[in-house]
Amino acid sequence: MNVLEAVDLQKIYRNRQKTVAAVQEVSLTLAAKEVLAFLGPNGAGKTTTIKMIAGLILPDRGSVRIAGRDPHREPKALRSLGAVLEGNRNVYWRLTPEENLEYFGVLRGLTRQVARQRAQVLLERFDLMDKRQSQVQKLSRGMQQKLAIAVSLIHDPQLLLLDEPTLGLDVEATASVKQLVREIAAEGRAILLTTHQLDIAEELSDRVAIINQGKIVIEEPTSELIRQFSGTAYRIELEQELDADRAYKIGALGAVIEGNRVAVHEVSLLYPILEILKPLPLVRLEKDRANLTEIFLKLVGKNAI
Amino acid sequence: MLFELFMAELRRSFIQSTRYSAEIIGGIVGTTIIFYGLFLSTRYVAGGGFQFGDRFDSIIIGYVLWTLMIFIQGSISGNLQDEARTGTLEQVFLSPYGASQVFLCRAIASLFINLVINISILLVIIGLTGSNLSFPLILFLPLLTVLLGAYGLSFIMGSLALILKQVQQALSIFQFGLLFLFTAPVESWSGGLRILGYCLPMAPGAGLLRDVMARGEGLDGGRWAIALLNGVVYFSLGMLLFRWSERETKRQGKLGGY
Repeated sequence: MNVLEAVDLQKIYRNRQKTVAAVQEVSLTLAAKEVLAFLGPNGAGKTTTIKMIAGLILPDRGSVRIAGRDPHREPKALRSLGAVLEGNRNVYWRLTPEENLEYFGVLRGLTRQVARQRAQVLLERFDLMDKRQSQVQKLSRGMQQKLAIAVSLIHDPQLLLLDEPTLGLDVEATASVKQLVREIAAEGRAILLTTHQLDIAEELSDRVAIINQGKIVIEEPTSELIRQFSGTAYRIELEQELDADRAYKIGALGAVIEGNRVAVHEVSLLYPILEILKPLPLVRLEKDRANLTEIFLKLVGKNAI
Repeated sequence: MLFELFMAELRRSFIQSTRYSAEIIGGIVGTTIIFYGLFLSTRYVAGGGFQFGDRFDSIIIGYVLWTLMIFIQGSISGNLQDEARTGTLEQVFLSPYGASQVFLCRAIASLFINLVINISILLVIIGLTGSNLSFPLILFLPLLTVLLGAYGLSFIMGSLALILKQVQQALSIFQFGLLFLFTAPVESWSGGLRILGYCLPMAPGAGLLRDVMARGEGLDGGRWAIALLNGVVYFSLGMLLFRWSERETKRQGKLGGY
């Protein structure tokens, strides 16, 4: 069974004369251990979709099932959901990390005793043990964000919604959050991740869904998407510029030479060209590979990130 | 399990209020001054606006009750606005207990803390001045009906806060209304007015409180049943309206906004 099944979600906002279709016919599924990167430009409908999944916005049409339960009708469905929401503090700044974990544990349906035990485990694991008795407002942004993720895990949910979890974090904190996301997924949880940092999405996700103007424009496994958008060309980089003789022979085969680089557009030419280059020292030989940023820009247009 | 939630809310409210000691010290100083003023000028206050009777006990207890009702009334809407401002409101709505239960637990927990502070100050002043204050236990019965009505109104104000976001104006108008409801002598009204009096929120319970405290009468079982029904109706109405507002706010997608 899928941990998340969101089918045909639709949300239209009517404000006086204006009608804005925030989300239209959006369907998303997520299985255990899977990370889905949910990408899109600002105002594309990411947050509205996430909040519909969390039961915080009521869809006009469509259904949501978290571990088989509808969060809009059965509050128990929320036992299986944890969320770190963008633009929210998510935790109480006047409380300490330990107090926040205990409080939210009970709020999510645990007994105090279990919440306490889980809090200790999470503090240890998220490296917050030293700061467990400092008020959250005195912690660094990175630690606050780690705590928000720890709090979202206190009741051991099967589905985790992470809306921009690395926003505003420095390099070290970002790396640490990335590592945590990997571990959390490996434990068997399903993670829905939104981020504007597409390199992070590429590194962490098993699948990518891109939304634009309220509609999903593509949904594919990340590696498949990258393969689709990658060319068949190879690039060869040499230590020094080519001599005239080799340059002539390679040019005659149809490859393009720029200084110490050779671009090979047909796979069948690769080995004949390597034969000609032999025994010149190579710096690099690589296949032309698209990255998620290029793909994203192609699909939703520039000025979108 | 709901008791676990209540205890967690009690701990959270207590910790949060003690962390900003200026707030709590200000509250204690303010309350002490008011109580002390009441003790020194009982007669003056007795001749004023709200007629709990001219007995010293009734005035003190009446004042405590009135401030508690004001506190309860603004408690849910105030909490909703605070949480929206600090960015934790949506996390609260992710609780499997459901928002109405969470906010009820919160309102009762903060009332509990408020009550402990008020009663402690009262006891200290009584100790210092050597006064004598009696609180008949039978008062708890009409008090319960008034509390139910007050929490019902609190949920109605909470619903307004969810839908309209800004409720300060409405709250101050409500406080005047509350004074009227608490002081209107519905027990002496007759005919159609009497029925209207029974239907006003908290009014029948407040009338019983006056009977027991100021007039020294016993508790009338029939009237208490009406007051209880009144309390239960307003409490249920508040709960229903709050659940409707929650759904409506979620439909408009405006839950986290402030």
